[in-house]
Amino acid sequence: MAQAFTKAMARNIFYGGTAFFFLLFLALTFQTHSALPELDNRNALTGPQGEMIAKGKQVWEENDCIGCHTLLGEGAYFAPELGNVYKRFGSTDAIKGFIASRPKDGVPGRRSMPQFNLSEEELTAIAEFLKYVSEIKTARNWPPNTQG
Amino acid sequence: MKYKSQKVAKLYFIAAIGLFVGQILFGLIIGAQYIWGDFLFPEIPFNVARMVHTNLLIVWLLFGFMGAAYYLVPEEAETDLVMPWLANLMFWIFLTAGAATILGYLLVPYAQLAELTKNELLPTMGREFLEQPTITKIGIVIVALSFLANIGLTILKGRKTVINLVLLMGMTGLAVFFLFAFYNPVNVVLDKYYWWWVVHLWVEGVWELILGSILAFILIKTTGVDREVIEKWLYVIIAMVLITGIIGTGHHYYWIGTPAFWQWWGSIFSAMEPIPFFMMTVFAFNMVNKRRRNHPNKAAVLWALGTAVMAFLGAGVWGFLHTLSPVNYYTHGTQITAAHGHMAFYGAYVMIVLAMISYAMPMLRGREAANSTKSQVLEMWGFWLMTISIVFITLFLTGAGILQVYLQRFADNPMPFMVVQEKIQLFYALREIAGFIFLSGLLIYIVSFFVGSKEPEATIEGEVVPT
Amino acid sequence: MTGMEKNRWPPGDLVIWIFIMAELLVFGVFFTAYAFTRAHNVELFDTYQLTLDRNAALINTLALITSSYFVVRAVADIRADDSRGCFRWLLAALGMGLLFLVVKGLEYKHHFSLGIDLSTNTFYMFYLSLTFFHFLHVVLGMVILLAVALKARKGGYSAAEHTGVETGASYWHMVDLVWMILFPLVYVMR
Repeated sequence: MAQAFTKAMARNIFYGGTAFFFLLFLALTFQTHSALPELDNRNALTGPQGEMIAKGKQVWEENDCIGCHTLLGEGAYFAPELGNVYKRFGSTDAIKGFIASRPKDGVPGRRSMPQFNLSEEELTAIAEFLKYVSEIKTARNWPPNTQG
Repeated sequence: MKYKSQKVAKLYFIAAIGLFVGQILFGLIIGAQYIWGDFLFPEIPFNVARMVHTNLLIVWLLFGFMGAAYYLVPEEAETDLVMPWLANLMFWIFLTAGAATILGYLLVPYAQLAELTKNELLPTMGREFLEQPTITKIGIVIVALSFLANIGLTILKGRKTVINLVLLMGMTGLAVFFLFAFYNPVNVVLDKYYWWWVVHLWVEGVWELILGSILAFILIKTTGVDREVIEKWLYVIIAMVLITGIIGTGHHYYWIGTPAFWQWWGSIFSAMEPIPFFMMTVFAFNMVNKRRRNHPNKAAVLWALGTAVMAFLGAGVWGFLHTLSPVNYYTHGTQITAAHGHMAFYGAYVMIVLAMISYAMPMLRGREAANSTKSQVLEMWGFWLMTISIVFITLFLTGAGILQVYLQRFADNPMPFMVVQEKIQLFYALREIAGFIFLSGLLIYIVSFFVGSKEPEATIEGEVVPT
Repeated sequence: MTGMEKNRWPPGDLVIWIFIMAELLVFGVFFTAYAFTRAHNVELFDTYQLTLDRNAALINTLALITSSYFVVRAVADIRADDSRGCFRWLLAALGMGLLFLVVKGLEYKHHFSLGIDLSTNTFYMFYLSLTFFHFLHVVLGMVILLAVALKARKGGYSAAEHTGVETGASYWHMVDLVWMILFPLVYVMR
């Protein structure tokens, strides 16, 4: 029956097509991994500096910063992009100072960032983490400008 | 209802609707916070309300998918579910774990929740949509595996229809890709690269197989069109989904530190991702036009057609608008993203679950085929109110996004984020109004379950003249 | 559906034409993107194009044209109810396909040994992407032709019913057609 044959062919195209493109995706993933060492600033992740950055990522995650902010454009859209905040603020001290100075009860009538009561070590860690992210070589130097 | 074990679906559907209400309430909270920045601060800061909103969405959709599977698989396989007790047990486990997680988000500062749940043993918290404590994630895996075992063994025992197989593949893919949620390297680029293997390969990948198979099931049942025709087109559609969507993952790899070739591969393939949604729309309308019978459950047919259209508009069209890398360079991570996200999720996944509930619930509650006309009319009011208001939410966020992109990214003197947010306030206010209308639609939809239950079922008015 | 009507159009099944159209769309967009990018990077493209092996490309072009001819003969044979002949012509076509893969494989080996990959420069990105994508289609086309050939050998097709042969043949011709555009565009045009 020609009709049944056609469904079988559609099925084969589904399986064949999926396998084909999954393999191609793996090939492109492999290429990506080859290219990343030049782009992802992994040199910063070595040694004591690397440990500090790892700690900073932990602080970032445990306080769910992504719940309000974007990092390289991904996350929530309530608060500014932080992938380039190191460049925008100019120093790790400026970042630390900002986070530490958030009022506990916020600023009346405005979007407010919580006071996370981070220790000195945690503040340094997260600032270093954000510095590391700002030095990742994004394509076309994204974001388009310093505002993020 | 042909098989007694299909009954387990009812609990899943009820939980789904309940969590849906919770999702919308929290959506209104964060929508309000966009307008009044310190609303509920510091007790419920924005990020907490947001994670409740998004996690409730994902969990209620999972309840919906599982309920849909528990209903349709026995009927397709022509045999009872092998372990209905397991389905019930997993229901309560999933619901309890989910509720505990949400309460954890709300009652305890997130950093403390991380400590309490020993996140440091295997850190997986603190990423978008994956905020759940690691132990919850492990629980999700267990629930998913039990579900797959139950469904898989049932299908093995019975008739292996295309619909069953596609649903099983979709749900297996869902479980497999969720495992990437456990991979959380320090290297931010790698972290992001594989995070998308959960998110993109879910919603622009295997979830579309789930969507397609449920839609096909509803169309077979309500139109009487030959199964062979519907199943052939289901294969064609899902083939196009994966052919475009797998490499289409590259449209998330433009600006996160991944190499530049993704701008080409990602743009070309993701630009074609609307094709399967377009095919689904043509497919759904064609099947209904070529139907051999009128089905008394008009509401279910409306949901099914609506799903195809809204999925095409929200996921297909709105996705296309910002998928090409030269455009995305400016729109990445803005209200444009939020606009697309809302209509895509509603059109594709919210609606297909509601379509399935619309089809199955009457029978799960003892009807032969459909609710009373009175009940269906109310349900359809719910459909239109929710659907039209999501269109407006999307339009308002698109407006906000265009202005935001211009002022913050494109203009010669770009303005700071917070200044721009101030300037687009009007759109947020309009969005919130639309959000309340959406809630009213949802409430009317829920009321429709309780109205007209004593009235007689709607009937078919005459046979369709065969073409 | 009582069997093959003589010279039905389009030959093969409608479903395969949907996919062929999708394929041509992707390649078409890639080619357009190539042309557009080249127009903005003429010097780069001209320079690196010279590093490509035109002789290899010529052999490959001849291989594919010949294989398409063999496929035409295979279809003619099955239309005359000659399963054996069909099978043998398909084998010959597969042989030419294999030649293509080997030659292209050697080209890639050379490039990769020099450390050239998708990130080297825009020209190579396009060259490798286009040719590799096509390469994979040659592989897929050969898988399809092999399946058809084996079925023909077992007598699975006849003059009355050989949709599969027509379908496989159409796909192979598409793969050939794509190369006919790719070859001059990438290897020759300056």
